Amino acid sequence: MALKLETVNIPHLPGSLPVHVALYRNVQNSAFLRQQLLAGNAEFEYALIDASLVLSRAHALAAIFRAMNDYMNNRLRSHNVHSEIVFSFNPTNNIAESFRKLGIADSTKDLLIVKVSVTPEITHDSVAAHLESSVEGTSVPFDDLTLSEISDISKIKKLYKLGALPSPAAKPDASQPDDAKRRLELSMLGAIALRGS
Amino acid sequence: MADEYKPPALPSPFTNTTPAPTLLVQGAEAHLYKTVSLDPSIPAALKVRPSKPYRHPILDRRLTRQRIIQEARCLVKLVREGVSVPAVLAMDWEGQGGESAWGGAWLMMEWIEGPVVRVVLEQWEAWMKKNAASLDQSQIQKEEDRLRGLMKRIGHTLGGLHKAGVVHGDLTTSNLMLRSPAQETTDSPTGVSMEGEVVLIDFGLAGQSTQDEDRAVDLYVLERAIGSTHPRSEPFFEEVLNGYRASHKGTGSTLKKLEDVRLRGRKRSMIG
Amino acid sequence: MIAIGMEGSANKLGVGIMLHPEDGSPPQVLANIRHTYVSPPGEGFLPKDTARHHRAWVVNLVKKSLKEARVSVEDVDCICFTKGPGMGAPLQSVVVAARMLSLLWNKPLVGVNHCVGHIEMGRLITGATNPVVLYVSGGNTQVIAYSSQRYRIFGETLDIAVGNCLDRFARTLHISNDPFPGYNIEQLAKQGKQLVDLPYVVKGMDVSFSGLLAAIDGLAAQWGLDGEEAAKEDENKQGSQTGEEQIVPETDGKPTRADLCFSLQETVYAMLVEITERAMAHVGSKQVLIVGGVGSNERLQEMMGIMARDRGGSVYATDERFCIDNGIMIAQAGMMAYKTGFTTPLKESTCTQRFRTDEVFVKWRDD
Repeated sequence: MALKLETVNIPHLPGSLPVHVALYRNVQNSAFLRQQLLAGNAEFEYALIDASLVLSRAHALAAIFRAMNDYMNNRLRSHNVHSEIVFSFNPTNNIAESFRKLGIADSTKDLLIVKVSVTPEITHDSVAAHLESSVEGTSVPFDDLTLSEISDISKIKKLYKLGALPSPAAKPDASQPDDAKRRLELSMLGAIALRGS
Repeated sequence: MADEYKPPALPSPFTNTTPAPTLLVQGAEAHLYKTVSLDPSIPAALKVRPSKPYRHPILDRRLTRQRIIQEARCLVKLVREGVSVPAVLAMDWEGQGGESAWGGAWLMMEWIEGPVVRVVLEQWEAWMKKNAASLDQSQIQKEEDRLRGLMKRIGHTLGGLHKAGVVHGDLTTSNLMLRSPAQETTDSPTGVSMEGEVVLIDFGLAGQSTQDEDRAVDLYVLERAIGSTHPRSEPFFEEVLNGYRASHKGTGSTLKKLEDVRLRGRKRSMIG
Repeated sequence: MIAIGMEGSANKLGVGIMLHPEDGSPPQVLANIRHTYVSPPGEGFLPKDTARHHRAWVVNLVKKSLKEARVSVEDVDCICFTKGPGMGAPLQSVVVAARMLSLLWNKPLVGVNHCVGHIEMGRLITGATNPVVLYVSGGNTQVIAYSSQRYRIFGETLDIAVGNCLDRFARTLHISNDPFPGYNIEQLAKQGKQLVDLPYVVKGMDVSFSGLLAAIDGLAAQWGLDGEEAAKEDENKQGSQTGEEQIVPETDGKPTRADLCFSLQETVYAMLVEITERAMAHVGSKQVLIVGGVGSNERLQEMMGIMARDRGGSVYATDERFCIDNGIMIAQAGMMAYKTGFTTPLKESTCTQRFRTDEVFVKWRDD
């Protein structure tokens, strides 16, 4: 099955820093990937995020953007831009907690993988080749419809302390705007932007 | 002699943005731009608070940072509470380059498409001034009812704002917008639509408060603003208060306070 | 036409004579004489002592000004006096003198608003035509802009005036009141380096200084920098360092008296520039005029200049002769009213402690 690796040029970021994003379901070798990360294997320097905590594309892009802006201004709080991306999904300032809650675990099945072209050698093709050979799972599109099947709303609301908000519809209906989902999403974007203030 | 006009420099990372953000308003402390959000197909508003070179750099940093965070916190809180305001999409209160090259802070917000209430009222008043004489009683009634409806919705939105524990601090009809509905239609002969959700904007002077005094001053400032800029609409301000009263429980004490504030003016009385 | 102006709303007694030539050429200052009641360090000027000072000096100053201007009583067209705002007893002393002269010489009286006096004198001296005015003194802090025959107040202090805040802190530090406390704070501030965090209270176009004063008074007390002893110690240090290499002592984060003055100035002037800029943006003006005693502060002028430059505008300020309370500003504003036919009947020649700038109908402007 073909790899659906999307290369995103996020507006406002320099063209030289494209971001490569892949979404996987049913990942079989999470323990291995996590091990590489812990061992500091440079080839496996990715942001590996538990995709059940990702609400939408806008949510993911907001966290990536926050980390990228801090990276460009030399304000990283963690080791590198990839760990910073994981941290940026967290609404609080606790780095260790963010890795524990949002980062890949041995049992993670749904995985969001992000890689930034921090050097010119990192390209869409190089990332694609490495992911094809390293991740055992089903590559799915990085879009809202797919994410809506993956995201665990109650876990997300708990993480962002937004339990009082109404929950989005379980079955998304493309013809109807989901006000509850939008309010939840915008509240999460605000929390990401304000972290550390 | 004044130097030739130079548009203000954009902070990082917006020097990368293509097309470049468009400057809409250059206010005293902030510049407002239109740009795109993190999705290039969705517009966004960008508010930049540039550094003020007249201030001591430490003081400048402290104030700029405090204020942009204050504004963002109010907005985020209101979005969470379901009050219609532009949502915060991203921000940076540190500016770029650390201590040495402080470039100011920025706040990226949801773009609200639609007219400001000031323009809606101006257009409506202009039309009425020109044509009221040729309308019959029921037509005038119909127009005034539309205005009453808008005023009531404004009051309702303000009630939600205050209930959420935020005061705006600068309520004018320029800081109220009507979010354009998907299909814009009006059967009014004025051609001025008053439809759409009332959205509060510009929280640059907002703060968190649940005091009747602060809330009453908010209402009073709007009352004065409508009185001075929209004379024909002024008689309908009572509907703002009706909408406010109906928005949530406990507005009675605020409205009572408003009476005091009206008597003494916005400021507490003072000597010499 | 010739007007004599008499001012005594605070601790300065001023008598000035203005000539408005019949041929329409620019007005001339014929005399500008001032005598200031200076209280000892650590003390403010009390109304009754100040009033006594004004009563003792007013005749002398009027005589001197006529002599200096080389005009005789017959040449004078009107007698202008400060109606308010200001301190009651000193105002009264001067209004009584003006009334007496009016009866003695049989000349009409013109009551003048003190703030309007500052504005008109500032406009005359600087040539600023329609500026946003920052009026800053011991008794007033206002941001003013002209609109349809009123000087409208866009912002002001919600409690004490900025000059009052500076004066009172000078008292805390036991700084000399000669020539005036703000001047001595400014000199001391030049040696300050460390910025201490002080409350910065701006609400829209209004400011508040009382919390700031309480905080900096508290810091002075906390670090033992207040009172006479600390002032003497500071003076001795200054003295012993003359001609020697300046040694910067290790402070361990402890602020000096100079640091406090520096921080006070940086904070209050930033507040004033901020509200002025907001008013400029609001009315769309590019000119700023600073009037009032605090307006002679060079740091305030510098900060205002940077702000105005960044807005593509410019700042207008006057020196001590004109921005510190004086008689000619009363003569100038009085003359402008007098030329429109305005006089103050004897029966109404009272004074008042409260007299808002926007109460005056500015008949002499029609822009």
